[in-house]
Amino acid sequence: MNQTADRMAAAPALSVSGVSKRYGPVIACDAVDLTVNRGEIHGLLGENGAGKTTLMKILLGLVQRDAGTIAVHGVTTEITSPQQAVTLGLGMVHQHFSLIEPLTVWENISLGDVGRIDRTAICAQVDEVAARYRLPIDPTARVSTLSPGQRQRVELIKCLRRDPSVLILDEPTSVLTQAESAELFSVLRRVVKSEDRAVILISHKLSEVISATDRVTLLRHGRVVHQGVTATTTVSELARRMVGREVSLSVDGAALGVLPVGRPDSVPVAAAAPSTPDPAVAPALRLRRLSFEGGVGLGPIDLDVAPGEIVGLYGVEGNGQSLLDAILSGLAVPSAGTIEIGGRVIDLRRPGALTRGGLGIIPEDRYRSGVVLDLSVAENLMLKSLGEVSGRAFVSRAKLNRRARQLIKDFAIATPSPDTPLRRLSGGNQQRVVLARELSSRPRVLVAAQPTHGLDVGATAQMYQRLRMVAADGVGVLLVTTELEEVLTLASRIAVLSRGKITGLVPVEEASPERLGLLVGGMAG
Amino acid sequence: MNLVSSTEIVLSSGVRLAAPLAFAALGEYLAERAGCLNISIEAMMLGAAFGSVAVASTTGSATLGLLSGVVIGAVIALLHATLSHRAEINTFVVGLVLNALVLGLTSYLIATAQFDSHQVAQVSIPGLRDLPVIGPPLFVERWPAYLLLGLIPITWWLVERSRWGLELRAVGENPAAADVSGIRVNQRRRQALLWCGALAGLGGAYLAVGEVGSFTQNMTAGRGYLVIAAVIFGAWRLGRTLLGCALFGLVDALRLALPALGVTLNSQLLAAAPYLLALLAMLLFVAKSREPAALAQPFRRGAD
Amino acid sequence: MNRSPGWTVALAIGLSVFLALGLSAALIAVTGFSPGAARTAIYTGSLGSAAAISSTLLYTAPLLLVALGTCVSSRAGVFNIGQEGQVLIGALAGAWVGLRLAIGGPVLQVLVLLAAAIGGGLWAGLSAVMYRWRGVNIVVSTLLMTFIAAQLIHFSVAMPWFLQQSRGTKLVVAAQSNQLPAGALLGSIGRYPNLQVNTGLLIAAGLTVMIAVALAHTRWGFQLKVVGLSPGAARHSGIRIARVSGLALVLSGAFSGLAGAVLLTSPIGTHRLQPGLSGSIGWDGLLVALVARNRPMLCVPIAFLFGVLRAGGNFLSATGVPFYLVDVVKSLLVLALVVPPVAAQEIDRRRLRRRLHGSGLAPVQGAG
Repeated sequence: MNQTADRMAAAPALSVSGVSKRYGPVIACDAVDLTVNRGEIHGLLGENGAGKTTLMKILLGLVQRDAGTIAVHGVTTEITSPQQAVTLGLGMVHQHFSLIEPLTVWENISLGDVGRIDRTAICAQVDEVAARYRLPIDPTARVSTLSPGQRQRVELIKCLRRDPSVLILDEPTSVLTQAESAELFSVLRRVVKSEDRAVILISHKLSEVISATDRVTLLRHGRVVHQGVTATTTVSELARRMVGREVSLSVDGAALGVLPVGRPDSVPVAAAAPSTPDPAVAPALRLRRLSFEGGVGLGPIDLDVAPGEIVGLYGVEGNGQSLLDAILSGLAVPSAGTIEIGGRVIDLRRPGALTRGGLGIIPEDRYRSGVVLDLSVAENLMLKSLGEVSGRAFVSRAKLNRRARQLIKDFAIATPSPDTPLRRLSGGNQQRVVLARELSSRPRVLVAAQPTHGLDVGATAQMYQRLRMVAADGVGVLLVTTELEEVLTLASRIAVLSRGKITGLVPVEEASPERLGLLVGGMAG
Repeated sequence: MNLVSSTEIVLSSGVRLAAPLAFAALGEYLAERAGCLNISIEAMMLGAAFGSVAVASTTGSATLGLLSGVVIGAVIALLHATLSHRAEINTFVVGLVLNALVLGLTSYLIATAQFDSHQVAQVSIPGLRDLPVIGPPLFVERWPAYLLLGLIPITWWLVERSRWGLELRAVGENPAAADVSGIRVNQRRRQALLWCGALAGLGGAYLAVGEVGSFTQNMTAGRGYLVIAAVIFGAWRLGRTLLGCALFGLVDALRLALPALGVTLNSQLLAAAPYLLALLAMLLFVAKSREPAALAQPFRRGAD
Repeated sequence: MNRSPGWTVALAIGLSVFLALGLSAALIAVTGFSPGAARTAIYTGSLGSAAAISSTLLYTAPLLLVALGTCVSSRAGVFNIGQEGQVLIGALAGAWVGLRLAIGGPVLQVLVLLAAAIGGGLWAGLSAVMYRWRGVNIVVSTLLMTFIAAQLIHFSVAMPWFLQQSRGTKLVVAAQSNQLPAGALLGSIGRYPNLQVNTGLLIAAGLTVMIAVALAHTRWGFQLKVVGLSPGAARHSGIRIARVSGLALVLSGAFSGLAGAVLLTSPIGTHRLQPGLSGSIGWDGLLVALVARNRPMLCVPIAFLFGVLRAGGNFLSATGVPFYLVDVVKSLLVLALVVPPVAAQEIDRRRLRRRLHGSGLAPVQGAG
């Protein structure tokens, strides 16, 4: 298909053919072909776990492929290290973990260079690149003092300064406001049009790929299932190919990264709940002047979640979500403010007080506080209610396994046995373990922080279903998310978090992407 | 004894006691900036002290002995790097085992062998050595001590100004980020360890063929740990680290000199002082510390 | 699938132990002694007779105690390397109680042991407090505290008003304490022909079983494990991390302190507090736990092995081989036992990678 697009004037900037990679029994990439031409923004689309990241790691020399060939500008090459990838002109704009905070901007940018350090020359170069792409930054600033948006600029400059022929961006918009995203895409446009470079945009969001790319390659289960000109495809076609079955955008839209088009037919109780909670009923969760000093800072935050209601807390990554998540997980104690659950104030200095008070949480980073990978499934399930399966001192294995088996059945967790180490389970099943444990203590409120992060479309849709059911049972749900589509689909009221503060609280029927975008940018909606 | 001459004596002995610490501290400082907290520095110093005496005795050249100390320190560092980076054994475990091994080996060997005494030459700086009070302590030394004058600025330049140093600091702060920026993390750490081994070796050898002229069982007696204490006391800043070494040397000199001066102060208290000072520094100057974020954390690509 | 990883590791350990012993023999030969004679001496001194076995067991007890404590703290993810200092402080506290309290019999014995455990525990507790209060690295603080402890012992036995031995008619007073009264000393349990089984060993054995059961089957053991594996999850599930890990460190110190009291009161030494009393039992006990990978039951044979080397080392002097030989053998053996399991894992990973390359997919050069 799309013969016209594949007809190339010159050798493509990057051409990958038959590249495979497996990790043990898992095939991450299965004979992948990818051709990226100069002067185009190429979307690499696929749900989580489709093999996008592995492919990029192969291109960057971080992972070695098992088979296949890679050609850069028509020349077949081996990429055995990140250094070599840079020499070949493949530049990655990283989102996380790639800037070193105590170092200055220019020091970070010059990392990976060789030869003597010439501070003046590097700073001049930074200023030049910054001016050319309109990405203003102070080269002598310490990275630790910069905002996420500014850090992304540093990343871009770091990459562009090496004069790469192919720029790779992995989910770049997750840390950006809509305004910042638009700015990023206009910079990328300039990069490809006026300088004849190629850009690979990795994303799992359909809408982003449709609006920003020239051509698109779609991966599913490690295979290329579609390749073609973006303009000639439609959202629903891409969606169908991405998931591998006919999908309804009204049901699965959010899971695919598309704005909901109308409400699902069976409007669940949660969505039908009144937009303004009844003041007579004690809220399931009430945050009062909750604040935390240090880091990005948080609050003061005021927010109520009524029983049976799903409230969305939407914002761009790095605006205080992690702090709130840490506080609600009991990992951090706020510097001021209170948390009430069902009308009772919780003493936050006592470990486990939130759990005992009736708060369940699916934490943002489940590896940090949600699960213990080296413990068994059963132990993870009973982590918070060990008292139920043990006497004064001794843990009863029999009771532990019996309770665990029940939960495994109730929540359809796919595991060989309760004794299997959690590490062996898939991401979706690990997430189910967390959900099962948190719901098994019958909480009054469930906090779901990025609950679908890293899940594939099917698991995401199931998670949405589960959250609606939970709310229908009368539990208050606080959904903390960076996904606009997710919050618009699930929540009845949406609070917007920007720079640690709530900049607005809108009922979903009054919420539009534009209005939320303004609030995210810190402006009144 | 008058005050001037006794100050001179204490200062002289303080400088001589501080010099081996300072050599090793330059190495440990650099290694820790790269994220390697290696307690095997004790083994490096002790092994080098023994080796330098053995080689000096066999070849008759104290200078060759000094050089062999540098080599032995580097070899132990290489062993440490191989075990902790390639075989991925906890760096503290590696350090403990290497310390035990080198202590046992040198103790065994010194008990079975006889070595002649050799000492490097003393050099005094004309003119300056005649200065009152500070003249003899600072300008009449065994010649290797003057190497410090070069090694201190070199270490500073390496860490703060060279590309290698920038990469070391990056590796010490955030190895994963350094890796994706194209820096070979464990290679840099291995290099930092080698530098540390060479300098610790120089310090140990200086102690043996420089100041004492012979080797005794467990000669370094925990000086390696004192060096670690100095880096901590210095809050991972070079100037303060060296200040710590000087302070520890002086305290030790005082402890040795007090009985002769007729002062009864508690010598055990003074012997414990460096460790107490390092602990106090950690308790008091937390905020000002420049402790590398990834200190003593191993790195493996792809391990989240 | 050819060999299972277990086999590979066992084989690798066997080979490297062989190598370690070979290197030790070579060292003996190079320095002009007879490896055979040294081997015989070590055997005679440690296992050759009932008396030799008794002496081995006397060393095994404190080593095992230190190692047990280390298992507890390591489970909680707390890397304590200050056992040597905690042993000394335990001995100091035990000696103080034993010499100062004018009571006799089993009560004094119990009090000495208790005081030692409390002393060692409190000493380790200081590191826990420094960590809690100011985030001072535990490895570093326990290490530094070891040297402070050593000076504290020197101090206590150098001060006439503290624990220095009484002058009496002597002209020179040594830096050591008086002998502990007979009532404070640990005796043998039971009567066997020539064999002595000291109460210290019995205590260590009993505690081994207790700790093994507690770590595997109690809520406390589970909590330790969770704290060690994932502090975030522990905190989230309501475990008081500071308390659990702090207590683990204190307990580890208490076990070391107890080892100090056993050293002081069982017939290994002179029954006096001396600066050299520990003789690196603390460092060695830590190595025992490292080799046993923090499994209490596995500590038993390893501690016994270390005991064999110590007891055997005392017999080396007859052959002219310096005692320090056993330190070399010990370190090489530790390397031989610790390196192969980790290295085998690494080799397995590489082999797996290679096998995948050859599994029907075209081989790629330059990979791996």
